[in-house]
Amino acid sequence: MSIQGNTTRAHQGDQPILECLGVERRFGGIVAVTGVDLAIHQGEIFGLVGPNGSGKTTLTNAITGFYPPNKGSVRLAGQDITGTAPHKVARLGIARTFQNLALFNGMSVLDNVLLGRHIHMHPGVLRTAFYWWAARPEEIENRKVVEEVIEFLQLESIRHELVDGLPIGLKKRVELARALVAEPTMLILDEPMAGMNQEEKGYMSRFILDARAERGVSVLLIEHHMDVIIGICDRMLALNYGEMIASGIPREVVKDPRVIEAYIGGSHG
Amino acid sequence: MFYRLSGVHHADYVSDSRIYKVPADRNLAVFILVIGLAAPFIIPSLYLNSYILPWLIWSAAALGLNLVTGWAGQLHLGYAAVMAVGAYSAIHAARFGVPWEFALIIGGLASSVIGSLFAFAALRVKGLYLALTTLAMQFVMDWVLTHSPAITGGSHASLQSPTLALLGQPITSDAGYYYVAFGWCLMVTIFMLNLKRSALGRALVAVREKDYAAAILGVNSFYYKILAFATSSFIAGVSGALLVAAFFFLAAPEQFSVAVSIQVLAMVIVGGLGSIIGTYFGVALILLVPGIVNGIFATTSANLGLQVDVETLAHMPNAVYGALIVIILLIEPLGLGKLYGNIRDYLMIWPFDQFRK
Repeated sequence: MSIQGNTTRAHQGDQPILECLGVERRFGGIVAVTGVDLAIHQGEIFGLVGPNGSGKTTLTNAITGFYPPNKGSVRLAGQDITGTAPHKVARLGIARTFQNLALFNGMSVLDNVLLGRHIHMHPGVLRTAFYWWAARPEEIENRKVVEEVIEFLQLESIRHELVDGLPIGLKKRVELARALVAEPTMLILDEPMAGMNQEEKGYMSRFILDARAERGVSVLLIEHHMDVIIGICDRMLALNYGEMIASGIPREVVKDPRVIEAYIGGSHG
Repeated sequence: MFYRLSGVHHADYVSDSRIYKVPADRNLAVFILVIGLAAPFIIPSLYLNSYILPWLIWSAAALGLNLVTGWAGQLHLGYAAVMAVGAYSAIHAARFGVPWEFALIIGGLASSVIGSLFAFAALRVKGLYLALTTLAMQFVMDWVLTHSPAITGGSHASLQSPTLALLGQPITSDAGYYYVAFGWCLMVTIFMLNLKRSALGRALVAVREKDYAAAILGVNSFYYKILAFATSSFIAGVSGALLVAAFFFLAAPEQFSVAVSIQVLAMVIVGGLGSIIGTYFGVALILLVPGIVNGIFATTSANLGLQVDVETLAHMPNAVYGALIVIILLIEPLGLGKLYGNIRDYLMIWPFDQFRK
């Protein structure tokens, strides 16, 4: 893949946007994630890789508050958000997509994306009752923001269609749109390119790069496609059995024998 | 043909957010509204007040249940109990001398408070467990009503409703009662139509469909569930109060029994979860069809000179009515509202549908 991130924007001296310090999460006796440290800087695309079951999704769930960490802490722009409930985390500026898609199938693409604006709106019973005066200005205002993102992700033609019938590539794009309209500072993408062909992967990679360039988001990207990770990530972290095995510049990390062993399997004595 | 889309272009977001985006839909709605307003002059008052009026009030009530069950996705088996709270609070307020406008609001608020307090406890469990908990609420309310003479006047007593009066005008005519019911039903319907296109409605659907996805978008599921319960309880309370004030004229505990709760739920499910027009159809089916089927059986058996014994005659309509519900749900599990939607969508492009696909 020839797409290359514009420049590495990691400023080592700056305050990181997202920081995990010694995060550990256990489920009963199973240690899903342990001792994970990571720091993502403003404008960085940070890759997170690892074999199945290595704890990538658990780590994002620990960050977003679904499974609060048992040990360690999570900081967002210096503020401790360890164990904050997911709906509050959203208001602090983290948006995410899910590995298995979490769109609302009974709703149109437009309504799904409008829901991404929830934290910027003020839904209420009386506002709904007096819609024309109390809710419409806000609806229109937010619709404008939504339409910008719909245009950005080229979803205009399917705006009024139900999400249910869309192919997976488009569904992933709708989910990205829903995350972007919230205007997050930190975007967590959990396998946004799973099940895509080479061309769709190319599109999605460009959207992620453009989102950073135009909207200034920092991205935590979970992927299995190493070409994508090498192509667009500034730095990366590899996990295996819940532990960090390598981190740094993608081109170097993928050559690390421990990473190769974790993915392909090595010859233990 | 009937619902022609050609020439319908929405050039701005205000026009694209209209309730009726197709002119034919809007014309139909206006037509029904005019019929509704003219009904006292064209429909004999016997039919008006014994069929249309309860249909309108129950439609308003069922829309309230649809808010919590169809939109927010919370199964509620104690809806009649919530209606009872509103009915008794409003009557007691009116008997105490509070003007009816305020008595109705007091009824609604009392229901809202009790309904959401209960939801606060009940919402700790989900799905079928929540349904059973709401059923428990129904039984608790039944017990309270039959065992507190201060509220109901005793287990077999009924409480007389003071004459309904709005804006200083006592309402005693059939047309008057009808317009009160019509007005309330219209208000609830407009609220629900607005809900469908507003942030609140979207948040409720999000909570219903995937609560973890709702959470990461910043939607506090618990808060919106409580809000749904409170709003639906308000609608239930006012509907219950109007049912007593404009239809039954007295309140008795058995008007709000568990059977009624299940009936309202049946109205909503047969009509279609999350469907406004379907709710009207569902209420009509559950409320009016038994009587119609009864009439058809009685007249045909009399005309054909069949010697049907009384017991059969009493049970057959019930069987037919039950079968009708089963058949409708087999044809279209999403209810009568979806059935209507299918026909509408078909007519939208008829007779040019062969060009599609």
